[in-house]
Amino acid sequence: MTQVNVQYYAIFREQAGASDESVETGATTAGELYAELCDRHNFSLPAAALRAVVNEEFADWDTPISDGDRVVFIPPVAGG
Amino acid sequence: MNRFELSAEPLDTGKLKNGLRHARAGGFASFEGWVRNHNEGRDVGRLEYEAFAAVAEKEGTRIVTEAIERFGVTAAHCVHRVGDLRIGDLAVWVGVSAEHRGEAFVACRYIIDQIKARVPIWKKEHYSDGVTGWVNCERVSGPEPPQPALPATTDGLYVRQIALKEVGENGQRLLSEARVLVVGAGGLGSPALMYLAAAGVGHIGICEGDTLEASNLHRQVLYRRSQVGQSKAHIAAQQLRELNPDTEITVIDVSLDADNAESLFNQHDLVLDCSDNLKLKFLLNAAALRTSTPVVFASVYQYEGQLHVFDPRTGAPCLRCVWPREPNVAPTCNEAGVLGPVPGVFGSLQAMEALKQLLSLPGRLSGELLMLDLLSFRSTKISASRLADCEICSRTPDQIELPRPGEFEIALDMDLAEVDPGLRNDYVVIDIREQDEVSARPLTTLPHRHIAMSTFSLDAPPIEPDQPYLLCCASGTRSRSLAIELRQRGFAHVYSQTGGVDHLDHGHSRGGD
Repeated sequence: MTQVNVQYYAIFREQAGASDESVETGATTAGELYAELCDRHNFSLPAAALRAVVNEEFADWDTPISDGDRVVFIPPVAGG
Repeated sequence: MNRFELSAEPLDTGKLKNGLRHARAGGFASFEGWVRNHNEGRDVGRLEYEAFAAVAEKEGTRIVTEAIERFGVTAAHCVHRVGDLRIGDLAVWVGVSAEHRGEAFVACRYIIDQIKARVPIWKKEHYSDGVTGWVNCERVSGPEPPQPALPATTDGLYVRQIALKEVGENGQRLLSEARVLVVGAGGLGSPALMYLAAAGVGHIGICEGDTLEASNLHRQVLYRRSQVGQSKAHIAAQQLRELNPDTEITVIDVSLDADNAESLFNQHDLVLDCSDNLKLKFLLNAAALRTSTPVVFASVYQYEGQLHVFDPRTGAPCLRCVWPREPNVAPTCNEAGVLGPVPGVFGSLQAMEALKQLLSLPGRLSGELLMLDLLSFRSTKISASRLADCEICSRTPDQIELPRPGEFEIALDMDLAEVDPGLRNDYVVIDIREQDEVSARPLTTLPHRHIAMSTFSLDAPPIEPDQPYLLCCASGTRSRSLAIELRQRGFAHVYSQTGGVDHLDHGHSRGGD
C-alpha cells in the first residue's frame, strides 16, 4: 500500500467535501489512483477532462506514485 | 420664497432674517457682502451688478439646497443684488438658521463660497479715475485666501512606481508605448483594465461583446448600477478615459473570433485573457502562436482560480500542452457561483503579470500554472512542459488554424421565446441542472423533463433521434456542450437554450401571454 497526499481544487473540492486528504491506496499510477477516488467520491469528470499533477509537475496518467507523493487533480475552470 | 433670489431693490435684512425663524432653530448665522471703495489698488466709486438671471437663480437655489441637505440646517436663504450699488451698499446676503451654531456657520460659509464660484453674476467697477472694468463676482467679498496650488502638469502621476529602481523613467516610457489587448471586460477585466490604465499603459484595446447585466455588478467593479443594459466595452472605455485621459482606448464591442483574432493580436504587444469561455481561451492560444504574442490567461471558480502566462517567443508550453484534450465542459461563474473579490484578485494578478512582462521584471510566470484558493490561501505553482506532439504548438505558426465553430455547433443555440408559438410545443424541454440547483431555482412556467447532466448517459442517451429537444441549464454553457455531444452521436435536433433557465422562464412566460 502507498500513502499519498491528495489535494482537491474546484469541483473536486466540492465533490470530495475536503480540500485535501491523506490516502492509503493500492494504486500504483496516477490513473489508478484517480479511478479509485472516483469510486470513493463519485467524481463526475472523466479522466480525459482533467490533469493529474504529481509533486508540482503535470504528470501522465501512467506516472507511478510512491509514498509521500503530493497528488493534485486539476479540472479546467473558465469563470471570469 | 425661492431659496436664492436676485433683487434690484435694496435688501431688508431684518425681514430676511425673520423669514428663517423657526421654533426648532437655536441659532442664526449670516454673511453680508458690501461694496467697498477699492479693488486691487484702485479707488472704486460705484458698482453695477449684472446676472444671467435664469441660470443664476437655478444654480443659486441648487447651492442653498445643497447646504441645507449637507449640513442638516433648519433653513437657509441667499439674496444677491443686481443693478447700481454705492460704496457701503449690501451686495449679497446669506442667512442660515439651525439647531446649533456649528452647522449654521459652515452652511453659511459654504453658500457664499459656492455662490461666488458657480453663479453667473458679474460686476462692473466704476473707478474714481473714470475708467470702468468688468470683474467676476468672485471679488465681491474681498481677495480670496491663497489656494493650494493645483498640480499644473501630470509630472507627479507615476512617481510612486517610477521610484521603484526596476521601473524608473525608462520603465514608464515602456509602459506609455505599450499596446495591451484585454479580451473580456467582466470580473477579471475590471481590475485588470483599471490597473493598466492607472499605470499609464499607452494603448488599451477592450474586446467585449456583451451588455451589462445586474448579476455582473457584484464582481465587475468597473460598472455602476445605472449602466445595466449598456455595452460593457463602451462604458468600460468611458470609465478608463476618466481614470487616465492619456491612455488611448480602442473599443472592440464584438466577441473575439477566428476572423478578427489575428488582426487584433497583430495590433497589440500583449493580450490578457479575461474571458469566461474555454473555447475562446483555446482560440487565444492559437492566435498567440500565429502572431507570436504573449497571453496572460486567468480563470476563476467559486473561491479559487488559475493563472497561466504563455509567451510563444520563449518556447514555453502552450495552453494545449497543459490541456492536451480540449475540455468540453468547464463551469462558468453563472453556473458555479463566484465571490466578487476572487476575479478581483485574479484580474489584479493579470495586471501584475502584464506589467512584469512589459517592464521585463524578474519572476515572470513562464509555462507554470499558478493555482490559488482564497478560502485557505493554499497555493500551488505547477510546472508544465511543452508536449513534443502538441496539436497546436508543435506546428509552425502558418500551419496553425484558428478554431472555428464545428459543424455540430452551428445553429445550436436557441431561445424558445423566439420560436413561433405554434411550434413551441414540438420541443421537449429537458432541464439538465443538478438536483440542488433545481431545488434552489425550480423551472415552473412550462412542462419539462429533468435529467441531471451528471446522470445523463451518453452511451445510451434517454432521448429519441427524431424528436426536437431543448436542453436547459443555469446559463446555457453546459446545455450547449451536452447538445454538441448528442449531435455528434446523431441526435440532430438537440438545441441549447440561450441564457439558461432564467431566460427560458422569463422569456416563455412573457412570450406565452
